[in-house]
Amino acid sequence: MRARLTQALYRLDELERADRCATPLHRLDGRAKLTVTAVYLVVMLSVPLTRLSELLLFALYPVVTAAVGGFRYGALLRQSLVVVPFVAFVGLFNLFQAREPLFYIGPMPVSVGWTMFVSLLLRGLLSVQALLLLVRTTGYYRICRSLQQVGVPELFTTQLLFVHRYLCVLLRESLALAMARDARSFGRRNYPLRTWGTLICQLLLRTFDRAARIGQAMAARGFTGRIPELPGTRTAWRTADTLYAAGWSLLLVGLRFVGPERIFHLPTP
Amino acid sequence: MSHHYLRFERVSYRYPDAHEALHDISFELRHGEKAAVVGVNGAGKSTLLLHTDGLLLPTSGRIVVGGVPITKRTLPLIRRTVGYVFQQPDDQLFMPTVGEDVAFGPANMGLDEAEIDRRVVEALTAVGAESLRDRSPAHLSGGQKKRVAIATVLAMGPSVLVMDEPTAALDPQARRQLIDLIRGFSHTTLIATHDMALVRELCTRVLVLHRGMLAADGPADEILSNHARLAACGLE
Repeated sequence: MRARLTQALYRLDELERADRCATPLHRLDGRAKLTVTAVYLVVMLSVPLTRLSELLLFALYPVVTAAVGGFRYGALLRQSLVVVPFVAFVGLFNLFQAREPLFYIGPMPVSVGWTMFVSLLLRGLLSVQALLLLVRTTGYYRICRSLQQVGVPELFTTQLLFVHRYLCVLLRESLALAMARDARSFGRRNYPLRTWGTLICQLLLRTFDRAARIGQAMAARGFTGRIPELPGTRTAWRTADTLYAAGWSLLLVGLRFVGPERIFHLPTP
Repeated sequence: MSHHYLRFERVSYRYPDAHEALHDISFELRHGEKAAVVGVNGAGKSTLLLHTDGLLLPTSGRIVVGGVPITKRTLPLIRRTVGYVFQQPDDQLFMPTVGEDVAFGPANMGLDEAEIDRRVVEALTAVGAESLRDRSPAHLSGGQKKRVAIATVLAMGPSVLVMDEPTAALDPQARRQLIDLIRGFSHTTLIATHDMALVRELCTRVLVLHRGMLAADGPADEILSNHARLAACGLE
């Protein structure tokens, strides 16, 4: 458990420092990447559930972005698999409700329900991949700052930043608690429910205290709710940002309205 | 704010659970003075320190920093004037890199990028941590974290420095470096500590807190040589 907590902490730290990599994608303004991600999510999620082939075209964005950003798509796919159980649970009912066949793979009929189920899984995976790429090429702080710049109220951007900070605090305190428990448990792994309850209460109280102290430290250095712009994180909007935002937005909207049938001259389902 | 003094006028503070942590505290710290607040755990040291930066506001009485009373309205000005170094540097360092953490205060002051950068370099150089600028605060040693935490407040150009247990949990070498560092500051300084050797080395004045009250206030030599009084307050 401790090893997993430590690993999660390192991964969070890595995410925060992600924007320091030197690919052209990392150097783009956060607002440009935010715009493309928003357009991608809206356009991709607007594809009807039964049009699987059209949805598959939208895998182009994470595959290309991962390559340009210097990430392995396989690793990104593995990370995004975390969403599968949640989406599968939501989509499960489609399997029992819509049983009429939509198309055939050879002699095997594929029902509308199965198509919708796979479509939901794919949407979940692609959405998480797009968001992971945004965080890994921009960094959490710069995303919150970019959201603030495009007019999202400070109340929301600050909350978003604090959620991330609280996650770090929660992990660090969990790690400390796990160490203290292991030091006196002599290899024992199972505890009664009551002990777990006490541990979780302790964890919550400790994280609240710690979060309050961090809040005081931020206030002591003049933080009033507006995320400040720091040297090195400042990027002026350049032509490259306009080209990136406009290029991807046009391509994504084009893919949505043209569709694979017209691109590959396939029969319309 | 030309006079860097800190004045407590009959300050009392009661926590929401009705526990009175400070009772009728009055003292004035003069320009450039280095004073220590000593007392057993729970005597009210940290509560007193939190009042100096307006992180707690008194239930009664008032606090004046360089002629400006601490109220909700004056908090932005007060926080530029008073630099607060927390006991746990892990609470104070929350940005991805040391450089960004040191820049956080000046950025909140609305300074331009060149000025922020100048202050970051100056503050890190002052604490001997310029080589740590791109490191993650989470991966520093205890002594390095303390020095960086001090740099984060120095970058705001404060007139008054307030430190809560600056030498706690430091090894002898890191403690020595920190004491030498603080000795070099010309700021008006208030230090809450259990480290009596640090008090003897750095402070000309000592305030003894006992059960939320100011039990003694005077020159360090006089206070520290009065063993009977110290023992009565649970100190030695």
